[in-house]
Amino acid sequence: MEILKLKNLSFSYPERDDEVLQQISFDVKKGEFLVLGGPSGCGKSTLIKLVKHDIAPAGRRKGGIIFNGKRIEDLPAEELAGEIGMVFQDPDNQIVMEEVLQELAFGLENLGYSTDYIRKRVAEMVQFFGLENLLARKTHELSGGQKQLVNLASVLLLNPKLLLLDEPTSQLDPVAAKEFITMVKRINEEFGVTILMVEHRLEELTAVADRMMLLNGGQIAYDGSPREVFFNVWDRRDEIFSAYVPSIPSLSLHLNENPEVKEIPLSVKEGRMWLSGINGFSAEQQPLPEAVNVRKVLSCDSVCFRYERKGENVLSDLNIDIYSNEIFAIVGGNGSGKSTMLKTMAGLINPQRGTIRFKNQKLKKIPKQEFHLSVAYLPQNPKLFFLHDTLEEEWSRAIERTNDENGNEKMNRITEMLGISHLAEHHPYDLSGGELQKAALACLLVSDPEVLLIDEPTKGMDPLSKQKFGELLTDLHFDGHTIVMVTHDIEFAAEYATRCMMLFNGQVASVSDPRSFFAGNTFYTTSINRLVRGSNLQEVITVKEALASWRVQASIQV
Amino acid sequence: MLMSFLHPFYLIAAVLLLISLTLLQGLVEQLRNRAKSFFFLTLFIVAVNPLVNHRGTHILFYFRENPVTLEALMNGFLMALSLLAILILFISYNFVLTPGRFLYLFSKILPQTALLAMLTLRFVPLLIRRLDEIKIVQKSKGMTITEGRVKDRAKNGVSLVQILLTWSLEEALQTADSMKSRGYGVTKRSSYERYTFTKNDIISIVLLLVLFAGCLIGLFNGYGNLTLYPDLESTSMGGAEWSVFVLFLLYIGFPLLVEGREQFRWRYLN
Amino acid sequence: MARSSIYSGLIVTGMLGLLIFSIIYFPEHYLMISFLFIGLTLIPFLLRFEMRKITGKELVLLAMLSAVAAVSRVPFAAFPSIQPTTFVIIVSALVLGAESGFMIGAMAALVSNLFLGQGPWTPWQMYSWGLIGFLAGILRNTWFMKHLWGKALFGLITGFAFGWIMNLWFIIGFLGEITFSSVFAYYATSFYFDLAHAVSNVFFILVFSSGWIKILQRFKRKYGLLAT
Repeated sequence: MEILKLKNLSFSYPERDDEVLQQISFDVKKGEFLVLGGPSGCGKSTLIKLVKHDIAPAGRRKGGIIFNGKRIEDLPAEELAGEIGMVFQDPDNQIVMEEVLQELAFGLENLGYSTDYIRKRVAEMVQFFGLENLLARKTHELSGGQKQLVNLASVLLLNPKLLLLDEPTSQLDPVAAKEFITMVKRINEEFGVTILMVEHRLEELTAVADRMMLLNGGQIAYDGSPREVFFNVWDRRDEIFSAYVPSIPSLSLHLNENPEVKEIPLSVKEGRMWLSGINGFSAEQQPLPEAVNVRKVLSCDSVCFRYERKGENVLSDLNIDIYSNEIFAIVGGNGSGKSTMLKTMAGLINPQRGTIRFKNQKLKKIPKQEFHLSVAYLPQNPKLFFLHDTLEEEWSRAIERTNDENGNEKMNRITEMLGISHLAEHHPYDLSGGELQKAALACLLVSDPEVLLIDEPTKGMDPLSKQKFGELLTDLHFDGHTIVMVTHDIEFAAEYATRCMMLFNGQVASVSDPRSFFAGNTFYTTSINRLVRGSNLQEVITVKEALASWRVQASIQV
Repeated sequence: MLMSFLHPFYLIAAVLLLISLTLLQGLVEQLRNRAKSFFFLTLFIVAVNPLVNHRGTHILFYFRENPVTLEALMNGFLMALSLLAILILFISYNFVLTPGRFLYLFSKILPQTALLAMLTLRFVPLLIRRLDEIKIVQKSKGMTITEGRVKDRAKNGVSLVQILLTWSLEEALQTADSMKSRGYGVTKRSSYERYTFTKNDIISIVLLLVLFAGCLIGLFNGYGNLTLYPDLESTSMGGAEWSVFVLFLLYIGFPLLVEGREQFRWRYLN
Repeated sequence: MARSSIYSGLIVTGMLGLLIFSIIYFPEHYLMISFLFIGLTLIPFLLRFEMRKITGKELVLLAMLSAVAAVSRVPFAAFPSIQPTTFVIIVSALVLGAESGFMIGAMAALVSNLFLGQGPWTPWQMYSWGLIGFLAGILRNTWFMKHLWGKALFGLITGFAFGWIMNLWFIIGFLGEITFSSVFAYYATSFYFDLAHAVSNVFFILVFSSGWIKILQRFKRKYGLLAT
């Protein structure tokens, strides 16, 4: 029995000819957990907003959406608000009220339920979510993960039959994301709520999703169980979507000569079983590239920082040297001080104790403008970078700052290289996240900075953009820029960094090249590394490395 | 009340009662922090009044050929006490009536305005945090508000706010969607809170009304208000005046009694 | 919209006349009367706002602008007399009209006082900022406000007027005698503060108003409020 039916759904935005969605038809069964993926701009967000009719974007729609046997536009407003719930991407933007309790009650109050009913529902839900301790808190004091759980709870209070989620974990750290997904799974299993979730991070979802659908260019590219989808992507040698296949299934598909759909491992546990069934890999350790001509560019010497005079140290006695020609990744849990560390290195906040040196010169002695031009900082949210109406104006201001006569040519070359020169006339806010990031990067690159400090560059990025961004970093690195980045994304760090550091409690917990760094970690490591740990195979941390250093000699024993 | 009973005894008593109330509520710190500014403000009023106001018959002395009268001095003194009482009352008021409670009261009478205020209140800390982030990012572009000419700093300051404006209005579209998707505007809103009075509340309100009416009657009969002009009235009080004074004390001291009873019970009956 | 704005304007002026009248005839109860006055002028605006059916989007837009106006003081913490709150209110009113302008001004005042602690000045601040927003909205289509110099002049006048109204509650309440010299003496002491406020208004309007108006118009369209 299907709860949602899409029939030849097409959509185009006003004043635009191209269709964001083209003739999409599919059914969603009651109680199904469906994950919707695809590169940005593929129409997935538009699709779920059309299903949530009350916030449907303006534009031309063709085709029908049937919810529970009724056309979506015939549904009374109360029913629509109650029966289809929606959780959005940004944890902050969805919150309306100052206190958690008010926020939870907001939807029920809107629908005019009696005070008794509201109180009963809220009490139930708070217990289910274990939110008792948060009830009296101010919403702005919560962590991102807590905010998103409150958002989920407040939507669930309306008793929806269909829950729509628009990249709900893209702004969360991996631990909070996992917690959120677990909660969604419980809602699906214990209440039978149908789930339609748009998400990029498929790795965590493979185990919980019943069905996966990948969209491209407004059309359905793949549809089926996670295993079927991964198999078909591999089978068609699809370049766009190969980045969407998580590393464990990807590895097994690459190594098996005749893979079978039902044998594709999804988790570490299944992966280990699969690995133990095969033998005969001969391993050959790839030598690490040798460092040539390195010098110290940026160093922290006993740096201490705290935000409030009486507060706790965020960075305490931090010592680290960054060398030229590195892609240096700083990883660590939430609140470990990663972003603070990057800001102190960028000279944007001043440590209370300790010194930061740039090429052996104390930061305090270098003129600020000059320093910011040689040690450039790319913020996590590139929107904050833009003041003017068009990219062109922003770029010309960036050129002015460098006092470079050839600035214009340089900027042209850079925007050409980044593939954003055609966007010069656009308003920064009309761009996608990836384009905006590149536009900000262009402003930084024009001064030819020696060091690029990058804060969480892959947050909310789809796998393909992530891969492209990683390649861009490698290119910049090759051009002689030293890159320091802060990231939650272990897989990304393992793949592209040349050295990794773990920050814990404001101090360096460990630092080394990615292979020995992750091989030394038990939990904080890539899934491929967790997969091979304890097997008799050569330890590796990424699919690429595994494929390069293992050679399959014998066939697979079934 | 505090602004109408312009009589030194009434006002001194009111100030003392209100100070005890703030102390009982544990607001020593707040009182101490403001003590200095309160002191200068009252001093200012006491000093300014006789300088600009020359009415009255009891001339104390001449200041720059202008008479300084006892009446004007008394007037300044009364005004200062009245302001002091109100400012102290507001310390206690801000403690008791938190923004949440304030808007809760509001939302019964003006629901839409209260919702607007709540939304605004929810945005403020978010915007302060965003402004901090913007400040740091823009600093890397050389935009600063801590050094340079005042004109440039003012310009940079508003530029930061401009980024905040554009960014936040863009983000807030999602807030509007989130409201709509949870049924905002579908029907008349109900409330999680119960607006009911307990028996105690009703008794308290009736008592306060009676006291208030008593004070008012006293006021209209010329009690509790020192006549200053043309001739300063004596501050001494007669029999009927005393009863009005007691009513006034009970009225101003009511919250003190309630708070005191609570604390007594907590301490000795628990 | 236009007619109701004129009515509201008439009510406000009428109330102002009533205030002056009653201060002359009942000099002992200035403060009572002035509070009554503030209350009676705020209430019609708030009631009108209550009667209108307001979409979530409009509500969010008003709240966000009020919050921006309130928070805009933060970068200027070092200079108490320079703050762009008045500027933000004027520009918002120029784009969104008199009633929204009033609500944004009043809300900005209410909310910043909820954070900083309320006092007897709260309603006066709500009134002054609300009135500035209201007037800017009423005058937005006049030839005068179409020119940059007109807006700057408006900023100059309202900068002073704001300080004067804010002085009023203090004078009426606590200086007792309202004589020309007492009022003059008090206003002289606040002159430099008011001047700084007025000059900074002019400066912000000259430098930023056209850019801000463009930004707000873009969002007015995005929030689907073109009809008003």
